[in-house]
Amino acid sequence: MIELLDPTVEATTRPITYVDRPRSLEGKRIGLVENTKFNSDRPLARIGDLLKTEYGAAGWTMFRKHNSSVPAHDEIVQELSKTCDVMVAGIGD
Amino acid sequence: MPAALTSKRHRVEDPADAIEFCFRQGWSDGLPVVPPTEARVRAMLEAARLPPEQQVGFVAHRAVSITAEKVAINAVLAGCRPEYMPVVVAAVEGISDLRFSYHGPGTSTAGAGVLVIVNGPVARELDVNAGDNLFGPGWRANLTIGRAVRLVMRNVCGSRPGTLDRGTLGHPGRLAYVIAENEADSPWTPLHVERGLRAEQSAVTVMAAEGPRQFYNQLSATAEGVLTTLADDMRISGNVMGQPHYCVVLAGEHMRTIAGDGWDKKRIRQFLWEHTRNTHAHLKRTQRMSGAPEPGDETTLRPLLASPEDILVVAAGGRAGAFSCYIPGWSSVKSSQAVTKEVKR
Repeated sequence: MIELLDPTVEATTRPITYVDRPRSLEGKRIGLVENTKFNSDRPLARIGDLLKTEYGAAGWTMFRKHNSSVPAHDEIVQELSKTCDVMVAGIGD
Repeated sequence: MPAALTSKRHRVEDPADAIEFCFRQGWSDGLPVVPPTEARVRAMLEAARLPPEQQVGFVAHRAVSITAEKVAINAVLAGCRPEYMPVVVAAVEGISDLRFSYHGPGTSTAGAGVLVIVNGPVARELDVNAGDNLFGPGWRANLTIGRAVRLVMRNVCGSRPGTLDRGTLGHPGRLAYVIAENEADSPWTPLHVERGLRAEQSAVTVMAAEGPRQFYNQLSATAEGVLTTLADDMRISGNVMGQPHYCVVLAGEHMRTIAGDGWDKKRIRQFLWEHTRNTHAHLKRTQRMSGAPEPGDETTLRPLLASPEDILVVAAGGRAGAFSCYIPGWSSVKSSQAVTKEVKR
C-alpha cells in the first residue's frame, strides 16, 4: 500500500453579500466597466444607451480598467460606488 | 519533530496504480508522474530548507496561497531531484509576483508559457542545459523544473485547460520551458546581473512567453549583419501593437560573431529596438492597426516595444550552427512583466 499526498488545494469559501437588485432602472445612474480590449467600449456604450432609452436610466459613465487581466482597481471601484447606482461589466475579447 | 504535512492523503496498491490514480485525479500534464509519497515530499522541503506551511507565493487575483508543501508535492510529481527545489521555489515566487500578474498569462487565450531563465552558480551545479538542444529534449533539470512550475499552475492555481486555462493553441513550452544562460562562454554581462543581482548569486527570471522562433543567418560575419536578419524576423511577430518583452537567445556562432565586433548587450538591444519598428502604413495595410492609411503613415514608426530595456538578451544554445532565436512575450506592456528572483539555498 502506498500513500500519496494531494497536490491540489481545496477552494476556500467566503460569504459575499449582494446588494438588492433595483426594482426599476428608472432614474438610475449606470456605470460601465470596460476591460481595455479593442472595441470593448462599443457594446457597453450601446448597452448604456439602451438602458437609458428603453428603461429610463438617468445616464451612463464609462470606467476603464488598467488592463484586461486584472480586477477593476480601487480608484474606479470607489468612484463607481459614489457616482453610480448600477454597474455593467463585461469582457471584450 | 518535523511539522506535519496537511495535504489530503490517498491510498493506492502499488506504484503502477499510483501513476494511473494521478492521471484519474487530473493531476498530470499528460505524462506519467512520480508518485508523491511523504518521504519524497519531505526530501524536497529539506533541500529548500522550507517548513511545509510556509507561503511561497500568493496569487492575489485568484486569492490562492501557494505553500511550500504544495510546491514540493508538485515537484515530486514532475520528477525533480530534491536539489532542484530551490529553483522551482524561486520560479513560483516569480509567477506570484504582482508584476508578473499571474491571472493573465495563466488563463489567456493567447496561451503563454512560463519561460524560466536560470543564471548563476546553481545552473552549473544542477546541470541546467545552456548548450546543444537548448529547449530540449535531454536534460532532467530543464524539463522537470519547468514541468513542476506548470503543475503548480495546474494543481494549485487552477490553470487547467478548458476552465481557468483558455489557451487557444498553447505551445510545447507550456510543458516545460527552462534554459540556463551560457555564462561560461558568454562574453557579456549575465542576465541576472543586468537585472540587479550579483554574478555569484543564483537567480531565475520568469517571462510569460510564446514559443521560440528560430532564425537563420549563415551568411554574415558582422554583428550588424546577424542582427539585421534577426530584426527583420522579429519585426512582425507576436502582438506587434505593443509587446511587453522579447527574449533574444543568441547561440554560439552568432554570439561569437556579434561579440567579435565589440557589441555588448546594451548595443544589441538598442539596435534591435530601432530596427523592429513598423510603419503605421504597413500595420494598417496588414490589418494590425485599425483605419485606412493616411498621409504621413509611410514615415510614422511604431516601436515593437516601449523601450530597448524590454528586450532580454541571453547567450545560450549550441556552439555550432548559425541559428539563434527570439521569443515574443505575452500580451501587452501593461499586462505582464518579466520578474527576476534570487534562488535561495
